[in-house]
Amino acid sequence: MATQHSKAAARLMIAPAVIVLLLWMIVPLVLTLYFSTLRYNLLMPGGTPFVGMENYQYFFTDPAFTTALVNTLLLVGGVLLITIIGGTLLALLLDQPMFGQGIVRLLVIAPFFVMPTVSALVWKNMFMNPVNGLFAHLARLIGIQPFDFLAVAPLASIILIVAWQWLPFATLILLTAMQSLDSEQIEAAEMDGAGALSRFFYIVVPHLSRAATVVILIQTIFLLSIFAEILVTTAGGPGVASTNLTYLVYIQSLLQFDVGLGSAGGVVAIILANIVAIFLMRMIGKNLDA
Amino acid sequence: MGRITLENVQKSFGDVEVIPPLDLTIEDGEFVVFVGPSGCGKSTLLRLIAGLEDVSGGEIRIDGKPATDLPPAKRGLAMVFQSYALYPHMSVRKNIAFPMKMAKVPEDEQKRRIESAAHALNLTDYLDRRPGQLSGGQRQRVAIGRAIVREPAAFLFDEPLSNLDAALRVGMRLEISELHTRLATTMVYVTHDQVEAMTMADKIVVLRAGHIEQVGSPLELYRSPRNLFVAGFIGSPKMNLIDGPEAARRGAHTIGIRPEHIDVSTEEGVWHGTIGVAEHLGSDTFFHVHETGLAETVTIRADGEIGLHHGDRVYLTPHPDKIHRFDEGGLLIA
Repeated sequence: MATQHSKAAARLMIAPAVIVLLLWMIVPLVLTLYFSTLRYNLLMPGGTPFVGMENYQYFFTDPAFTTALVNTLLLVGGVLLITIIGGTLLALLLDQPMFGQGIVRLLVIAPFFVMPTVSALVWKNMFMNPVNGLFAHLARLIGIQPFDFLAVAPLASIILIVAWQWLPFATLILLTAMQSLDSEQIEAAEMDGAGALSRFFYIVVPHLSRAATVVILIQTIFLLSIFAEILVTTAGGPGVASTNLTYLVYIQSLLQFDVGLGSAGGVVAIILANIVAIFLMRMIGKNLDA
Repeated sequence: MGRITLENVQKSFGDVEVIPPLDLTIEDGEFVVFVGPSGCGKSTLLRLIAGLEDVSGGEIRIDGKPATDLPPAKRGLAMVFQSYALYPHMSVRKNIAFPMKMAKVPEDEQKRRIESAAHALNLTDYLDRRPGQLSGGQRQRVAIGRAIVREPAAFLFDEPLSNLDAALRVGMRLEISELHTRLATTMVYVTHDQVEAMTMADKIVVLRAGHIEQVGSPLELYRSPRNLFVAGFIGSPKMNLIDGPEAARRGAHTIGIRPEHIDVSTEEGVWHGTIGVAEHLGSDTFFHVHETGLAETVTIRADGEIGLHHGDRVYLTPHPDKIHRFDEGGLLIA
C-alpha cells in the first residue's frame, strides 16, 4: 500500500503538526539554556552579560541544592512506594465482589479529581493543623500530645498528601490489570496447590508488573515536578526541609528575581529527570516489551 | 489409584439447578468422557470433581475417602484447561515445575520428573521458552506435562483440544490416548465432540441439561442407545430418525436407522428417493436423499466409488435388525 508517492504525501501532511510540536519544545528549551548562561537578575536592570557556567556554579554550590536533590528523590520514591503497594492492596480489595461495588469504586477514585492546591489546603488546615486539625482532635481524645505534622515532619507529610492524591490512579490502573487476569490461570494455580499468598506472588504480581511499570513511569514524570502542594503547605520549609528542585528553581527565579540562576536550575532539573528516566527504563522498561 | 464416586451430587447457581442429583462411579484407571451439547453441565460436573466449584448437595469420594469439602489442591487431581492456563511469565520448565514447587518436592526429584515429562511429551528443546513462543499443540503438551509431574490420582481434561486445528486435534487425541495406556491413570475428559468421545473413551457419559442420559462403552452407546437423544448424539453422520406411518407400521412412534445400515441400489429397495447432496470422501460417500416420504432428508453411507450423483433416483433398504424403535417419550422399545 505504502508507495513512494503516498509516503511523501503522508510526510507532507504530518509536517505542520510536527513543526508546531518541535517549536513548542525547542524554543523554551533553547531560551532556558540561553538564559542560564547570562547574569540576568530583574533587580539589577541594565545589561545581561554572558557569564558562561557561572550560574551553574552558583546553583551547585548553593547549600540548598543537595537538600533539594535528596528531597526530590525522596518525594518521588516515597510516593511511588506508597501508591504501588497501597494501590495493589486496594485493587485486590476492590476486585472482590461486594455490596455497593460501583459506589465504592467511584469514591476511591474521587481524590484524583481534587485539585492539588485544594487537597493540600484541606490536609493542612483540616487534618494536620496541630490546634484545629482532625488528627489533633483525635490525639487529644486519646490523651496524647498533638503532632505538628508540617513543622516536625514536613517532607513526610507532603509525601503523605501527594500519595493520597495519586493512590486512586495507581489503584485504578492496577485494578483493570487485575481484572484482565485469566481466571483459569488462578484456578490452575489453585489445582497446582498454590495457596492464596503463593497465588498472589507467583501469578497476580507478575501479571501486574506491566501495569505497575506504566504507573511508575507516569507518576515519576509528575512527581519530579511537585510544586503546588509544597507551596500551599510548608512553602519549602522549615528552612529548606521540604524544598525540592522545582521549588528551589521557583525560589531563585521568582522570589530572588534571578532569571539566570533559575534557568540554570531548570536545566539541572531536566538533566535529573533524564537520569531518573534512564535508570527507570533500565530497571523496568523490559516489562513493556510484549 | 483413582476411583471417583459421586453420590447424589447436585449443583445450583442461585435458583437455577444446573445439575440435578446424580450418581456416577468412575473406576480406577478408566478413561471416562463426559459428552453433551454446550450448556449441558458437563464442564460444571468436572469442576465439581476438581473442587473449583462447591457442590450444593451430595457427596464426592476419591478412593473411598470423602473429598466433598477438600480444597482442589488436596484432592490429588490434575486438570488441563481449555485455554491451557499456562503461566505466561514463566518458562516451560518453571511452568511444569510449579506444582512440584508448591508441593515442596526436592530439587533433584523435580529435575528428574521434568526431564522425563519433557522427554515423553517432546518438549526437551522448548524447556527454556516462554508459553507465548510456543504453538498451540506445544502449549497443550506443556499443560499436560504440568499435570503429569504431579503424579495425580486422576487427570481432568476440560475440552483440551477445542483450540487446536483439525489435524493437530487428531494427533493430540492419539497422544492423550497413548498417555492413558502408558500411565494407566484415571482420566476424566469433557468434550462436546462425539468423535473424540467415541475414539478415546472406555466409558462415555452422555449428559443433557445436567441429567445423565446414558453411561456405557462407545460401542454400547452406538449399538443400543437408550433414548432418542443419545441415538441422535452418538454416531457421525447422525442417525436417521423417522416418524409417522413408516414408524407406526413397525409398532413405534419413531424409528432410527444409522446411515451405514441402509443399502443403496438403483434397481430395487424398500424406500426410494432422489439424491440431493453427495459427499465424496474417497473411502466413503454420504448421500443426502430427499423425497423419500419418510423424513426431510435421509442420510446414507455407501461405498466410496459407487458412482451415483446429484439427481439420481435410488432405492434404499434398511437392515431390519439394525432398526431402533422408540416410543412416544423417546425411550427405546426393547
